[in-house]
Amino acid sequence: MTAVIETGGLGKRYRRLWALADCTLSVPAGHVVGLVGPNGAGKTTLLGLATGMLAPTAGTIEVLGGRPGAGPAQLARVGYLAQDAPVYAGLPVADHLKLGAHLNPGWDAELARARIKRLDLDPGQKAGALSGGQRAQLALTLAVAKRPELLILDEPVASLDPLARREFLQYLMESVGEQSLSVVLSSHLVADLERVCDYLIVLVGSRVQVAGPVEELLATHHLLSGPRRDPGSLPDGMRVISASHTDVQSTLLVRTSGPVLDPAWMVSGVGLEDLVLAYMSQAAGRGRRNHLEVQR
Amino acid sequence: MTWLTWRQFRVQAFTAAAALAAFAVLLAATGPHLASLYAASGIRGCQPASCGHLASNFLQQLYAAGTYWVLYLLGVVIILLAAAVIGLFWGAPLIARELETGTSALAWNQSITRTRWLAVKLTLTGLAAMAVTEGLSLMQAWWAAPIGRAVGHGGGGTNLAMGRFSSLVFATHGITPLGYAAFAFALGVTAGALIRRTVPAMAVTLAIFAAVQIAMPLWIRPSLFPAEHTVIPVSSLQQISLQQGGFNDSSFNLDTENLPGQPGAWLLSSGAVNAAGQATSTAPAACTTQSMRNNTPAFIDCLASHGTREAISYQPASRYWSFQWTETAIYLALALALTGSCFWRLTRRLT
Repeated sequence: MTAVIETGGLGKRYRRLWALADCTLSVPAGHVVGLVGPNGAGKTTLLGLATGMLAPTAGTIEVLGGRPGAGPAQLARVGYLAQDAPVYAGLPVADHLKLGAHLNPGWDAELARARIKRLDLDPGQKAGALSGGQRAQLALTLAVAKRPELLILDEPVASLDPLARREFLQYLMESVGEQSLSVVLSSHLVADLERVCDYLIVLVGSRVQVAGPVEELLATHHLLSGPRRDPGSLPDGMRVISASHTDVQSTLLVRTSGPVLDPAWMVSGVGLEDLVLAYMSQAAGRGRRNHLEVQR
Repeated sequence: MTWLTWRQFRVQAFTAAAALAAFAVLLAATGPHLASLYAASGIRGCQPASCGHLASNFLQQLYAAGTYWVLYLLGVVIILLAAAVIGLFWGAPLIARELETGTSALAWNQSITRTRWLAVKLTLTGLAAMAVTEGLSLMQAWWAAPIGRAVGHGGGGTNLAMGRFSSLVFATHGITPLGYAAFAFALGVTAGALIRRTVPAMAVTLAIFAAVQIAMPLWIRPSLFPAEHTVIPVSSLQQISLQQGGFNDSSFNLDTENLPGQPGAWLLSSGAVNAAGQATSTAPAACTTQSMRNNTPAFIDCLASHGTREAISYQPASRYWSFQWTETAIYLALALALTGSCFWRLTRRLT
């Protein structure tokens, strides 16, 4: 299967601060990819690089085999919904559809009209007067109706209320089903992504912590609890992501491709949220330690 | 892209069209009467000896009537401001507002490159900017043609008697308004692209444009072509301004506003020189006697008889269009350079 996004040592620096560093990824096609990480982790930067809105400082990035934003053909293949779903506040809904029709050779007018009708949006209403949820839906309609192969959404539901959030994701999944789209969407909340994503990238502190199909991630991560012991004494091939200890007991979140054979452990599965949190706190802990070392 | 550009621009376009129409109505309502006054003034077909007198009378009549003087000045001010207003309200927001509201992310992710997006927006809006300003200028030129002809016939004596080279007239007639509009617009767009915020970009645009518009007539325009120099007898001067002062009125300043035999020339400087050709401001003793005081012709004759002459540096009237073309070319070149930097910024250093 070909990759929709392929990066090698990708980095982006703003003045002296690296917003994204040493990012090497290969995201296969046909997935709904969740890009998750805390605020300021570099999610928007990575998506900006993938759409060609930003130029990389270091490394390479290919999207659908081409340079992002390289020309009209490349732009036509990638749909992008920027953070806060920008629309022209002064233009009515209908003019946004006209805009899409004029600027995209592959524009699906029928699909756009049907979606606007189903969303119950008044075509004559100014986009500036729409609610946050309606605005996001309008922007999604624009991005979907240009018939892209890859749809990139930056924090699409962050500013929406729970109901609008559910409706938005529902429409998104319908479009994915109808058009066989690949999707990359970012969020700082795992709960948003859990229902829709089948591939996950965890980005913390401008670095990719883990990436892979959700099923595989869940199958290779285990929560072990048992009598207290040193995490260093675990067998090879088992990586500790997080560990907590009481006087008598240790609880470890480990990643391993093989089965856990040691009978001393009680093994249980890990939810996606716990998994992501473990990686986030691991990265945060590393950051603190580095910070301390610098101070010393 | 043409559709989107027009859709975003049409309110401004209608506003500009309405302003042009209002200006046209104002001028059309008053222009014919101005022309009839000119026809009645007898300047057309005048004898060379009386032309200057008739023209001065005509201008005096207009100036005294008030309306035409006010309209003339109003037209000049509107044309001067048009370029600045266009730079501020069309140029500065063109990119800055898209960046500010984030809609650039929407526009730049349609199936059209940023280069094309910018090219279409700049071309359509920029051409409209130039057309509006030049349109205002042509209307004003039509309306004010009798005044220009009267000034050309040597009419003087009022504030209306501004030659073609005077700052206000030069900047509002001919093709210079075209260059100003293009420059102001490109300046606004570039400031917006760099600053990325509309209101600060407008402020910067206004400051730079005003500075350039002040520097151009004061320091740059006079030296676009090397000035001509001539020394003529003081007795041949036609319109003089004489200042006397000091002990026994022994120091004087003799300036003139036009050069005999060179109607419409642009005088850069004038001043008296002595027989040796050196600038002087001290009158010969013979010219400061009691009988010379308050008798300007006698004083001038006295200066002449003592070898005092007037040195004048000027630009001949025949260079008018060379000045117009050169200045317009300078502004257009600046506009092109700014436009180029916008393309560079938007495509190389992606936002």
